[in-house]
Amino acid sequence: MGVERRYALASAALGRSAVPPQAEEEERPELTGVTGEILDISPHLIIVENPEGVEERLVIAPWATAWRGQQVGPSGLPIGSRVTIRARQSGRVAERLWGDITRVTGVILSLGRERRDLTIELDCGPHRGTRSVVIPYGASGRIRVRHPQLQPGYLFDAIGTRLDGVTFAQLPATSQPAYRARSVPPPPPAYGGVQSRISGAAVWSDAFDDGETGAAYPMLERADSGCDDAGVSCTGLPYLAIGSMLYVGNVCEGRAGVIPIVACGCVAGRFCDRCVECGTSPRGRIVELSPVSYVQLGGDLVKGCFNARVGLG
Amino acid sequence: MDVVTLATAALALLVFLLLLGGTAKLATAGTDSEPGGLSRLGPGVLVPERWRKPVMIFCSFGEAVLAAGLVFTSNPLPRWGTIAFFSVATYVLWELRRRRPDVGCGCFGEASSAPVGLRSIGRAVVLAGLGVVVAIVPVSGADLLSEFSWELVAAVAVGAAVLMVLSPELEEGIARVRYRAPCEQRPVSTSRILSRLRSSAEWRSHNELLTAAEPEDTWRELCWRFFVYSGRTASGARAEVVFAVYLIGRRPAVRVAVVETETAGDPLVKSIGLSATG
Repeated sequence: MGVERRYALASAALGRSAVPPQAEEEERPELTGVTGEILDISPHLIIVENPEGVEERLVIAPWATAWRGQQVGPSGLPIGSRVTIRARQSGRVAERLWGDITRVTGVILSLGRERRDLTIELDCGPHRGTRSVVIPYGASGRIRVRHPQLQPGYLFDAIGTRLDGVTFAQLPATSQPAYRARSVPPPPPAYGGVQSRISGAAVWSDAFDDGETGAAYPMLERADSGCDDAGVSCTGLPYLAIGSMLYVGNVCEGRAGVIPIVACGCVAGRFCDRCVECGTSPRGRIVELSPVSYVQLGGDLVKGCFNARVGLG
Repeated sequence: MDVVTLATAALALLVFLLLLGGTAKLATAGTDSEPGGLSRLGPGVLVPERWRKPVMIFCSFGEAVLAAGLVFTSNPLPRWGTIAFFSVATYVLWELRRRRPDVGCGCFGEASSAPVGLRSIGRAVVLAGLGVVVAIVPVSGADLLSEFSWELVAAVAVGAAVLMVLSPELEEGIARVRYRAPCEQRPVSTSRILSRLRSSAEWRSHNELLTAAEPEDTWRELCWRFFVYSGRTASGARAEVVFAVYLIGRRPAVRVAVVETETAGDPLVKSIGLSATG
């Protein structure tokens, strides 16, 4: 039985509506996340092939900006690169493009050197396996200043580009937690019971299927999720399940959505950091979103996080 | 009150605390379900990570050996060993407080997760002092029975009161009971909830509709755990029987729905029952 039926079955048992709830109607124009491979690009038009193999044509807005390891003009993105686009007007007008962007989040397993570049082997969680990342010499200064403990056992989180199958870290996505990955601080006692909405940091990960809408949530029962590292968070999060509908609100942009939990966010739960995108969020990563969901909620992939509120949808 | 009575009371307190501390440390080391749980506890943080668990187990066995030596022999070795143990503990706690003010003393396993304070150090000093008394007046477990009197009970009570005042674990324990994590945040065993479901009235009334003995799927959402069984409706159509069991109480609330397989989102036959609330 698929987990996608869980919401409907739980609704039947508890007598709630079988239609997943929607976030309150926003006055702000809706954003669409589009991913795919660039087939053609000009200063005013981009043609991408989405993961279903369908061509999509988007007008590039005059104010649009792009990133591919650094800020570039939209037409500077090469044909054939993977692109994530934030679009308006029902997905027809591209206003922000990220080319070949990737994010590597995990626990440092080993370090090595390749000429002047640094290479790191990361454990990205039991279901995501290991990844190798190259820190180019030119980016090592800004990575190291936010990751002072480049040693096995410590957490690592960086944003970069994936070119020809090699991942290059360009920007630190957070300030590295001072503790080892296995020593996550316990959550504070819940003196007043569990709040229906919990504040913290929402981040993104590219460990989802291409174009998938969904979230990875840290507080899952280990036996249910098949993830031995689940159920760890320094925030007092309630237990939910894969298949639950999660309300995620972007406090910075005033946008919200109801997103299905599709994976275990065991690595995200080990980060007890804050997001300072707009004000300072309470400690703890409360949800990890797919790039499409993150972009639809108004997040900027290069910034890496937004202050968020989550709860059962 | 004579010296032997005081020494016997000291012996009783020492043996009780050594056994309690040893058992609690062993339990914590054995149920280190969350990797790194020991890293916030006791002198273990002063040694490399791979030695933390062995150090805790060694410490608990050492305490058990000392307690046995105090009870069953009058040999001076366990007595001086006890003095040495608590003297070293005093030094280690002092050092721990200076070098790692964020970690707990681990004296009683994970119950002692509060940062080391002067009270924990004072308790180690008092216990070393009790060890000196037992070493000077070599009483053993046999004296506990032969010297039994109300004076002995009073001496033990006074000593226990002093140690309780010096134990931050008591306040921590009271706080844990008072501010217990709400059920949404507590891990709850699936097998226990399943056995509660099987003793509910809803289970008995829907048991005949089930065509499988074990659930097809189970998951948890906040304070509810769901079990899905394959079954059939009263008319014989294939269906899924969903039980939702509340996680609190010995006779928790149980809700049930029978959902035809083809129309999971639109249950044609649905019955909701509520048993005694937990």
